[in-house]
Amino acid sequence: MQVDLDKQFDLPGSTTQGWEFLQDIPGVASCMPGAEITDKIDDNNYKGKVKMKIGPAAMAFNGDIVINSVDAVKREINLIGKGQDSKGSSSASMDLTASIIETDGGMSALKGNASVTVTGKAASMGGRMMMQVADQILNQFGSNFADHIAAMGEGREAEEAREHIAEQPQEINGLKFAWTVFIGWLRSLFGGK
Amino acid sequence: MDNAAEVQEREDSIKGVGCSRKRKEDARFVQGTGRYTDDLKLPGMLFADMVRSPYAHARIKSINKEKALALPGVHAVLTADDLKPLNLHWMPTLAGDVQAVLADEKVHFQYQEVAVVIADDRYIAADAIELVEVEYEELDVLVDPHRSMDDDAPILREDLVGKMDGAHSKRVHDNHIFNWQAGEKEATDRVFEQAEITVKQEMYYPRVHPCPMETCGCVASFDKINEHLTVHLTSQAPHVVRTVVSMLSGIPESKIRIVSPDIGGGFGNKVGIYPGYVVSIVASIVLGVPVKWVEDRMENISTTAFARDYHMTGELAADSEGRIKALRVNVLADHGAFDACADPSKFPAGLMHICTGSYDIPVAHLNVDGVYTNKAPGGVAYRCSFRVTEAVYVIERTIDVLAQKLGIDKAEIRRRNFVKAEQFPYQTCLGWELDSGDYHTALEKVLDAVDYEALRKEQQEKRAQGELMGIGLCTFTEIVGAGPSRNCDILGVGMFDSAEIRVHPTGSVMARMGTITQGQGHQTTYAQIIATELGISSDEISIEEGDTDTAPYGLGTYGSRSTPVGGAATAVAARKIRAKAQKIAAHLLEVSENDLEWEVDRFKVKGVPGQEKTMKEVAWAAYNNVPEGMEPGLEAVDYYDPPNFTYPFGIYLCVVDIDKATGETSVRRFYALDDCGTRINPMIIEGQIHGGLTEGFAVAMGQEMPFDEQGNLLGNTLMDYFVPTFVETPHWETDYTVTPSPHHPLGAKGVAESPHVGSIPCFTSAVVDAFAHLDVTHMNMPHSAYRVWQKVHELGLDQHA
Repeated sequence: MQVDLDKQFDLPGSTTQGWEFLQDIPGVASCMPGAEITDKIDDNNYKGKVKMKIGPAAMAFNGDIVINSVDAVKREINLIGKGQDSKGSSSASMDLTASIIETDGGMSALKGNASVTVTGKAASMGGRMMMQVADQILNQFGSNFADHIAAMGEGREAEEAREHIAEQPQEINGLKFAWTVFIGWLRSLFGGK
Repeated sequence: MDNAAEVQEREDSIKGVGCSRKRKEDARFVQGTGRYTDDLKLPGMLFADMVRSPYAHARIKSINKEKALALPGVHAVLTADDLKPLNLHWMPTLAGDVQAVLADEKVHFQYQEVAVVIADDRYIAADAIELVEVEYEELDVLVDPHRSMDDDAPILREDLVGKMDGAHSKRVHDNHIFNWQAGEKEATDRVFEQAEITVKQEMYYPRVHPCPMETCGCVASFDKINEHLTVHLTSQAPHVVRTVVSMLSGIPESKIRIVSPDIGGGFGNKVGIYPGYVVSIVASIVLGVPVKWVEDRMENISTTAFARDYHMTGELAADSEGRIKALRVNVLADHGAFDACADPSKFPAGLMHICTGSYDIPVAHLNVDGVYTNKAPGGVAYRCSFRVTEAVYVIERTIDVLAQKLGIDKAEIRRRNFVKAEQFPYQTCLGWELDSGDYHTALEKVLDAVDYEALRKEQQEKRAQGELMGIGLCTFTEIVGAGPSRNCDILGVGMFDSAEIRVHPTGSVMARMGTITQGQGHQTTYAQIIATELGISSDEISIEEGDTDTAPYGLGTYGSRSTPVGGAATAVAARKIRAKAQKIAAHLLEVSENDLEWEVDRFKVKGVPGQEKTMKEVAWAAYNNVPEGMEPGLEAVDYYDPPNFTYPFGIYLCVVDIDKATGETSVRRFYALDDCGTRINPMIIEGQIHGGLTEGFAVAMGQEMPFDEQGNLLGNTLMDYFVPTFVETPHWETDYTVTPSPHHPLGAKGVAESPHVGSIPCFTSAVVDAFAHLDVTHMNMPHSAYRVWQKVHELGLDQHA
């Protein structure tokens, strides 16, 4: 099961700030709900973990992250994450290209293109929902990323962003997700996309 | 009371052939006291559970058992390397291939068995399989069978590389399994070249799963002291399992007991031998304690034998009147990663060459190529005789297309091509001898019953209003009762079947057969056969099957073979008993046996009223007063090798209305006329027809096993896999004609699979018919609302004017 996603998130900061943070792999990983870097092998190789909980079913994906390219001129990074769930019944991989682009008014945006492949039980059971779930996960990722950029600054907004970051749940909570996915689906039905 | 009434009363009291006797099995089933494999609990029993691959194609780099073995309650973790010294890491399949019991260096399909954990209970086993660490290296996946024989296709079976002499034919590619042909290619091609009219239709018969209510499972118990192995398992062919287990293990067959207890539906899914059985047996032998393995629903749908998966092209050549001159069928068969089809050994495409159907076709050619893909093995007969559903589908669909092209009504084109009643027994051009039939009479009966003309008129009116109404027709001939041992064997054992009948001194009867009931009602119907032959009430006749220690050797129950083969053996064995009983009766009445005549339950001296002996009296005498030189006792055994298959047929008609907004197909009417020759228990036949129609409805309207490009199976839970309940199931109307089989001792034919085989093309015929005026000739199954809506949408029928 493979889905391809293209996303863009406006960032409350400059391209320089965005690019600085994008190169912080553990920091970027922490924007992904439920994800964390557990081990740094070298500058280009990391080990990581993603935890997911959907009702009583918990899944933990352990995997490797390989940074394929870092292009400072284009402010673009390409990485491949690949993992198998600890129960051996599913696996997932993601080929992600992310870049920081300049937008109107000197602002910046995070632009991402991801190809996510899931195999095993996760695909059999959740294939139908995958597009919507991946979409929501990335939305969450984008908003967390933006918080980190905001947190680089000063003032009330930066303070709030820092609070958001601290409150971020340590695993993907599927039931909460199910709700956002449902709302997203309803919106799409009524053309509110 | 006059004599005739008295005879009738006796006749009724024995509840023999023709009686709608209530099923003897139901008392225990409806009270929840059936005894299934998973009900068996033996002292010290351990549980097996499988580590399965998340990948469809991958190399196994390492397996680490340590964490699993460290879990308290885990007794063993076995991998292919552990089975290697026993030479049990691979096992032979029924189709002449081999299958990995546990993945040997490579996994070939998603959910393939990689390792087995043996633990104190199933919960510990379930926890332990999550602790077995398997490192995989992903390989390119082959999902589309049309790509299997491409030059750059990934090679699946490294064990077969370079071995180009396949089990059935030369292989032309490493992913090729066999090529199999029937009929005359050149003669057929010539007819096509010169024909006035030809039609060609491609169609896909999706991969589906029988999905019986009870999944597969076993309890293996090896007695180390006596070196005796007992296995209770869900098998439709326990005697064959015993032979295979003996061949694999080296344990003599006399020291192996296979028991099929109550079975919660088989439908072909329980014919094969699965890795779970093998590892449970090995584990029990190694550990010396009983080991149970029962698969869950996802394992059932994902790994134990699927059905169908035929990509077919049907072609007909005809004259302008629609009279068929030739048939050409090409099939690309997706067999998955191992060829584990359950077919008679000589027929890698089963009985697919029955694809000439009910029609008088002068010449035909069938070509089948089987290929490997990264999917689970299987290819069983899902409530049908080997590949007959596919055969009926291709001919019934293609003749509809021919009718459409010529503008001839689909009932009329069948009338013009049917084998006529006087042509039976009829030799088909692909080598079968249809034993009996009267298709024209049956067709007219159905058309009259539904008022076909009025339906067509209504359809015209609906079409004028822009509504979608379809009328489907299927006029099928089945081939069931495998089979004559001259052309049917399984692993070299002829496909006869057997019955052993003992009449006790007090006149009650115990009979055992080589078949095994899984819902067919053998305990009820076999007793009726014996009742009629011996004049003993079926209530006093006990039927036992499924225990290889007691039952005579038989090939089991699938392909509607119980009545044609086991039922025939039962009748013949009973007749042997009656012949002996006649000698005893003559002795008791002091007359020549030729002076006796049989009447319901007794021998009577011809022309001498009152001089008679009932079978019960004879039974008693068989144990104390037999003619000089005759051995005492009253029992007989028969191993029946049928001279031919039986060919039941049916005429099915279906009316559907399709909602243009949602694509929802509503089955307004389904009329099923079946002819299975002599009817042993009309009520059971009715039940079988209802069940088969419902399963046919399931296949046609919803069942499929879709795979994505990575080889993930996307339909292996009951959230996705369609099993209809009463909510979805249409109302069925049934009817019958009786054309007895000339070669069966009772004139009976198989029946339980006809409704499945016949209804599926009928549903497609109806759905397509709803769009026929828009030049649609075929739509692939399943006809789910979404897929039908896609067609509606493609044709722009959902647009407002």
